[in-house]
Amino acid sequence: MAAPIVEVETLSKRFGRVRALSEISLSVAEGEVFGFLGPNGAGKTTTIRILLGLQHPDGGTARIGGFDCWTDHVRAARLFGATLEQPALYGFLSGRDNLRLFARSLGAVDEKQITELLDLVGMTERANDKVKRYSMGMRQRLALAQAMLGKPRLLILDEPTNGLDPNGIHGLRILLRKLAEDGMTIFFSSHLLSEVEELCDRVVVLHRGEVKAAGPLSELMNVKGFQYRIDVSDVDEAMRVVRSIDGAAVEPGTIKDSILVNSDKDIARVINHALVVAGIGVDQLVHTQRGLEDVYIELTGVAPGSPLSSAPPPPPPPSPVGAAKS
Amino acid sequence: MLLISLVRNEIKKTWRSRWIVFAVMGGIFLLIAGGLYTYYVISQGRWSPPPAVAWQTTLKAEIASDQQQLNFMEQAKQQGNGGPTSGPFSIDSAITLVKQQIADDQYLLDHDIAPLQSYSITVAALFAMGGIVMFLIIRIFGWLASEQIAGERSDRTLAVLLSRPMSRSQLLLAKAVASFLISLAVVVVTFLIVYAVFAFVEGSVGPVTGQVGLAIDAAKPLGSSNLVVMPILVFVLICLGATMLGVLCVQGMSLLVSAVFGRWAAIGITLAVLFGAPLVSTVVAVIIIGISQDPNKAHFLNYLFVNVLAPVSSISAVFGNGPGGSAGIGLGEFEKENLTLAAWTVAFFAAAWLLFRRKQEAG
Repeated sequence: MAAPIVEVETLSKRFGRVRALSEISLSVAEGEVFGFLGPNGAGKTTTIRILLGLQHPDGGTARIGGFDCWTDHVRAARLFGATLEQPALYGFLSGRDNLRLFARSLGAVDEKQITELLDLVGMTERANDKVKRYSMGMRQRLALAQAMLGKPRLLILDEPTNGLDPNGIHGLRILLRKLAEDGMTIFFSSHLLSEVEELCDRVVVLHRGEVKAAGPLSELMNVKGFQYRIDVSDVDEAMRVVRSIDGAAVEPGTIKDSILVNSDKDIARVINHALVVAGIGVDQLVHTQRGLEDVYIELTGVAPGSPLSSAPPPPPPPSPVGAAKS
Repeated sequence: MLLISLVRNEIKKTWRSRWIVFAVMGGIFLLIAGGLYTYYVISQGRWSPPPAVAWQTTLKAEIASDQQQLNFMEQAKQQGNGGPTSGPFSIDSAITLVKQQIADDQYLLDHDIAPLQSYSITVAALFAMGGIVMFLIIRIFGWLASEQIAGERSDRTLAVLLSRPMSRSQLLLAKAVASFLISLAVVVVTFLIVYAVFAFVEGSVGPVTGQVGLAIDAAKPLGSSNLVVMPILVFVLICLGATMLGVLCVQGMSLLVSAVFGRWAAIGITLAVLFGAPLVSTVVAVIIIGISQDPNKAHFLNYLFVNVLAPVSSISAVFGNGPGGSAGIGLGEFEKENLTLAAWTVAFFAAAWLLFRRKQEAG
């Protein structure tokens, strides 16, 4: 694993009586695409504010490139570019002038880079219009260009898909993939699990200021075992047969004439054999990977984007896929 | 180098977002200029002024006029029609003041030192500029400075700036320097416009070189130990310096408020102080003088924040070496008031810096 560029150790933060972060630790390796997940109020934005040097922690440390984000902010900030939850830009300036202004705060204006960035985020045509006339999606794209000024090693993105239409989200995904291929480290905070699932190498799930899970996506999504979808000729008979197999939990599938089987170990061949012996037709047996959404709901008890984020965790959802999406 | 870039950014932001304010200010100056000239034409009954008169002639005429006034007051006193016979508003006090003015003018005449009044255009321009600064410019720049951090906080652009590789001290300094430079340009342009207006009204640009004599303590008779002689240009620079110190003090206070609050709270507090404090201190001064019958009892108010800005608006009175006790306060008092103003200014900027560098920004 490459050296970490972001190191957070036992980070704590309180706002009055509210505990926003409770000794969270995480690290992001150089070149990694890192997903930062959690429902509203989980502490994601607080963590990002501390990383950006906007707030100081009550306890623990946050470092970027080995530099403390609060006490050594200037050196840490040379390594990253960031977008905030809501794109913050000067409405009375044009998109190009906004980039010039932020570039100047880095020391010098590189017109060639500004033109390239505007092209990269697809804003060349509207670059000379005032930002107050931009749509939310255009502001998001310009904010992303702002974050990439000076070619930072690390890109911190707080909900960058907010306000983007499906085309915009698709474009952002392609852009971030390209940046990741070029070796840029991306710290991606989002509640859109599909984006995280498609983009990120590793995720941390935060809930109520605590890290609930951390690790590579592949590990996280199989953490609770195996799941199979089997298309059969007789659902009732198939369920009876599978129930008799040791360690198998079976339920009707969401697709017609199918069953879902969950198990702690890989029992695909055992199931197939039992069904064939019992004379049940097996059209296909698919090893279905658990979605990140399932893991997320299990860990936080909150469906992504749910208004229940601050309420007590509801009981585990009955249906594993799709049903919890709000 | 970074600081220059940041200052440039701040100037650009102020200009691009608030150009309408400067346009309105320009319009107000034009209205003032037009109004002054109209007043001149109506009150004097002529389109252009008479030829300028040598200062010695004016001073001799002033001495003669004061002598006439002195005779009248002494006559009134003998007849018992001179009002109160004791206290600061008594006939004796008035007689003493006029006597001192005659003695002062005679001293200047004897030693060939021009009084400030001989630079009438300069004095009028400084006086008018002082008034415009006191009543308009410090409020406008107080408002603009109060938005410098607070406005960006409300628009969330402050979080983006603070996440860039610059220290908060650099950002605060850049904002302070940018505010100062913009206000300096406006004050200098105001002075030049007002000077041009008066020069037009007078039909002459007036003397722009030469020496001027100023009392150190205006309450005492002029003499070699109570007189500072300096080139008129130095005097103008001192006045502009005092004006800018006043503006800077207000900007320091506004930045302090701005470092803590959001846009509307910062603007509200700043304008409440700038409009409310003179009103409150005037009421307090009137009450104190009314009860004590002694103007000196309210003197301490001159060292409070807004009152200390008074030298800005009453520059000619401050330096007036004429009837000292009634108007001018002399160079010594002026220096003390400006030192107090400087102390306030340093305190405001220091407090703004201390608060801003530790402020937690919500982003």
